[in-house]
Amino acid sequence: MNIKNSILIRVRLAFIVVFLFGLAIILRIVDIQFFEGSNWMKIASEIGLKYRTVKATRGNIYSDNGSLIATSLPFYRLAFDPSIPTQELFKKNIDSLAIQLSHFFKDKQVKDYKRIIQNARISGRKYLILNNRKINYQEKKQLQQWPIFREGRMAGGVIFEKAETRLRPFALSDRTIGFINENNKGAGLEYSFNQYLAGKDGQALFQKMAGGNWKPVYDESTIRPEDGYDIASTININIQDVTESALNRALIQHDADYGCAVVMETATGEIKAISNLSKVGTEKYRERYNYAVGDQGLTEPGSTFKLVTMMALMQENPELILDDTIATGNGSYRVYDRIIRDTKPTGYGNISIKDAFAKSSNIAMAKLVKKQFGLNPQNYIDYIHKMGISKPLDFQIMGEGTPYIKSPKDASWSGISLLWMSYGYELKLTPLQTLAFYNAIANNGVYLQPIIVKKIIKADKEVVHFKPQVVNPKICSEQTLQNARQLLEAVVENGTASNIKESHYKIAGKTGTAQKLINGKYSRKYYTSFVGYFPAEKPKYSCIVVIDNPKGYKQYGSDVAAPVFKEIADKIYASDIAMHTNYPVKYTMAKGIFPVIQAGHQFDLELICKKLGISQKSNSHEEWVRAQRNDNYVAWQSNKHQSDLMPNVNGMTLRDALFILENQGLHVIYKGTGRVKSQSIPVGNKFKKGSTILLKLG
Amino acid sequence: MENIENIKIWLNNNIKGDRYIWMIITAFGIISILVVYSATGTLAYKRMSGNVEYYLMKHSLLVILGILAMWLAHKIDYRYFAGLSKLALWISVPLLIYTWQFGTTLNEASRWITIPVINQAFQPSDLAKLALIASLAHMLSKKQQKIQEFKQAFIPMLGWCGAICGLIALSDFSTALLLFVTCLLLMFIGRVPIKYLLMLCMTGLLAGTIALAAGQRLNTAVNRVKHFVSSFTNPDEVPFQAKQSYIAIASGGVIGKGPGQSDQRNFLPHPYSDFIFAIILEEYGLMGGLVVLFLYLMLLYRGMRTATYSDKAFGGLLAAGLSFAIVLQALVNMGVAVGLGPITGLPLPFLSMGGTSLLFMGVAIGIVISVSKEKVET
Repeated sequence: MNIKNSILIRVRLAFIVVFLFGLAIILRIVDIQFFEGSNWMKIASEIGLKYRTVKATRGNIYSDNGSLIATSLPFYRLAFDPSIPTQELFKKNIDSLAIQLSHFFKDKQVKDYKRIIQNARISGRKYLILNNRKINYQEKKQLQQWPIFREGRMAGGVIFEKAETRLRPFALSDRTIGFINENNKGAGLEYSFNQYLAGKDGQALFQKMAGGNWKPVYDESTIRPEDGYDIASTININIQDVTESALNRALIQHDADYGCAVVMETATGEIKAISNLSKVGTEKYRERYNYAVGDQGLTEPGSTFKLVTMMALMQENPELILDDTIATGNGSYRVYDRIIRDTKPTGYGNISIKDAFAKSSNIAMAKLVKKQFGLNPQNYIDYIHKMGISKPLDFQIMGEGTPYIKSPKDASWSGISLLWMSYGYELKLTPLQTLAFYNAIANNGVYLQPIIVKKIIKADKEVVHFKPQVVNPKICSEQTLQNARQLLEAVVENGTASNIKESHYKIAGKTGTAQKLINGKYSRKYYTSFVGYFPAEKPKYSCIVVIDNPKGYKQYGSDVAAPVFKEIADKIYASDIAMHTNYPVKYTMAKGIFPVIQAGHQFDLELICKKLGISQKSNSHEEWVRAQRNDNYVAWQSNKHQSDLMPNVNGMTLRDALFILENQGLHVIYKGTGRVKSQSIPVGNKFKKGSTILLKLG
Repeated sequence: MENIENIKIWLNNNIKGDRYIWMIITAFGIISILVVYSATGTLAYKRMSGNVEYYLMKHSLLVILGILAMWLAHKIDYRYFAGLSKLALWISVPLLIYTWQFGTTLNEASRWITIPVINQAFQPSDLAKLALIASLAHMLSKKQQKIQEFKQAFIPMLGWCGAICGLIALSDFSTALLLFVTCLLLMFIGRVPIKYLLMLCMTGLLAGTIALAAGQRLNTAVNRVKHFVSSFTNPDEVPFQAKQSYIAIASGGVIGKGPGQSDQRNFLPHPYSDFIFAIILEEYGLMGGLVVLFLYLMLLYRGMRTATYSDKAFGGLLAAGLSFAIVLQALVNMGVAVGLGPITGLPLPFLSMGGTSLLFMGVAIGIVISVSKEKVET
């Protein structure tokens, strides 16, 4: 037999083997189709497979400095496929696993866990929820170390089902942060920015298990979910906290229906705090509706609108002199069948225009407007439109209320409309819209759209950057602007809000007390507000406070809303060093040689004085004090230092000075001996940790 | 009439070799596009947001590329493949090692490397497979006169088979095993004494175990075989994929549900590749299955005929080796789908979606045609 024939025979032999294998395949197909067929069809109908959504991780919401305001945390539910572990593995470890489970969940005895798992294994179950409690990622890692579980999904049978919970580390500004429900309806940022936050859900194949649970068939999803973007808001957690608590306190004090407060950074238009609290029970207030932004927050603003009127008057008549006198009469002014009244029952008589604004005279406004615009009311309305306050701000949170400004052509326009509008009736604005207008005065006439979201971020990469739109680059002439500022300062200086006059820094603003229109009639219920900015010379923030329907004898904006404004402003001012004017503080040391120790630790100093028999007196107990000579005794005065600000160590011993300064993170060098005579960083200045300070001793 | 004449002349000039093989491949191409289109239906819907045509276009293009590769290969005198295959063999060794260490991971095994510039996934084991079989055919043909000699004839073949199969086994055990079996078969055809082959089986077993343990796939392999064995005694133990495959086959019946009507494509993993035969049976029934099986056996028969009429031992062994390699893989894939073997990840030649596989299968069959040319021309 030659080589070729031998090869050919072998080839044919191999072909026959392959052919037989092919035959086996056909027989097996016939077997599946005709003999096992009904069985497989039955399994098919029972197996319950379905593609189910795998939720994408929702993006985070950050504060202005990157703190988490809202985040999604993964949680897991522990399930188990008891049929997977080998007999050997199972027998050896079931006891210790049961102990771990019982200790961890603390809901069942060790023997109960063991029994449940063993029974499930014997009955051939492939899916068993061990506990419904949500466990976090750290706990999951811990559980993965347990016996049997540590073999993983494939060999150990452990199943961690992922779920997600929305978490808010700070319980702040609920309504502004908002929410979103399963039907994609909601409010606030969560709703308005849902398209970015939501991400894209994925899909994975699941199999239905006994008890209505779904078990993922594979470890990986068929379509991976795409996680949502993060959004960086402009909210400052500290300012928000201050704002919320100040407002809450005032609402309780005045038993009001609702209130809102918004703080806006003047130069950037960024909303630093926004709080809306509605009454939900006696002395209880909660965020339920965004009155600052939404439709329901649209109201007749009252006297705060007088600023718009004054500006229209000044623009129309640049000759208008604020010191000119206007006759406001005896406090009531009849127009047709209606009477305009001033707050002071006897009237303000003849006062300057500036005073009339500061004291919030309705009659003065009505008379001025009537004189200037009486023949052409449309002119007045045009000023309102031109300045830009009649249009919605296109705010980033959805559902903004649209301002209502009527026109002489409207059917509802009447002979008194113009005069009523001049002091803030027959028109509607939201608190945010009023605030934005006042902010324009603070911002040198640049009317900015307020923003609450600065950027959208995807893993440290900026996707969208939001800049506030300029509603109007210059709302009025420079002269009008300066006059407007004067007017607002006068309100606090000697007008309706003189109760919040502050000596360290100046506040400028306007009170508002509007009667509420109920069933077409003006009631004895009030809508009080205060809107303004601070520090008046160099505005950094503007703020509006609105308190609706306060009860008790104090019902005016000056008494109800203005103090809240001041509390917020004070706290922001105190914590914002950049706003402080640097006055070089002079500490004069007591003259003469007595007392030798000028400053130090109160406890030590008192002890020394006691031992030496020196009379002493102190009004308070502080850690650090300064000595002051009063006649024949030493008075201890507080020498407390604020963190971040340079402490006063003059007159101290080197030991005490070193203790204080080094605790502040400063590097100290010194010259000479004795007590501290001078320090190179002035007292009360800002300093950086790690900087060097030179002390001269003598 | 003139047009048809022109086409005939063009075909005669450009399409040489065994006409039946050409027809079979064309038939496979058409079936492949149809079935893959249907099987990717859900996948396409999900990944490309409903753009089902994306996969249709991509796959059709690859089928055409495969046929183009086949056409190019058939133009080359098959004797050149002796040298080319040796070169390819040397290239594939570092490629396989690189893939094992740094390749793209899919389903826990790294089998792909991405070719830079064109950014296309490439599976080096497909290249190695083709190169090894062609080289083995060459070595066998050269050594025919002294085939009984252990040292001179057998050792080099053994070395190459061991090295390539071992390297593939590191990341893809079933491909390696199939290749090893194909090599054994080819050596049997090439008259290597049975006792050497038995010895080779033993070493292969040893090497396989070591590769499994060193590589990434030991657990998977053991589990799959375990599941397969226990599934005979306990129907509950049938693995998920197999269960879904059986449901597909059972629901298809004799004539099937019709093109594009598969339900199981939603639940079967890789319905366009590993389990494409189940989809064929579901949509085209037993009849469709028979046609596909018949086409493969026909292909093997034509390959065998080519071997028979080849003048030279190299041509014969090359044609036989490559035909068997293709058809064996096809039958193993079908066997898995119907439950005659444990789950493997082997694609169905010419039918499954997948770039490298289609391309090298095209080259392989092109070489067979090139061998068949020799007889037709003389």
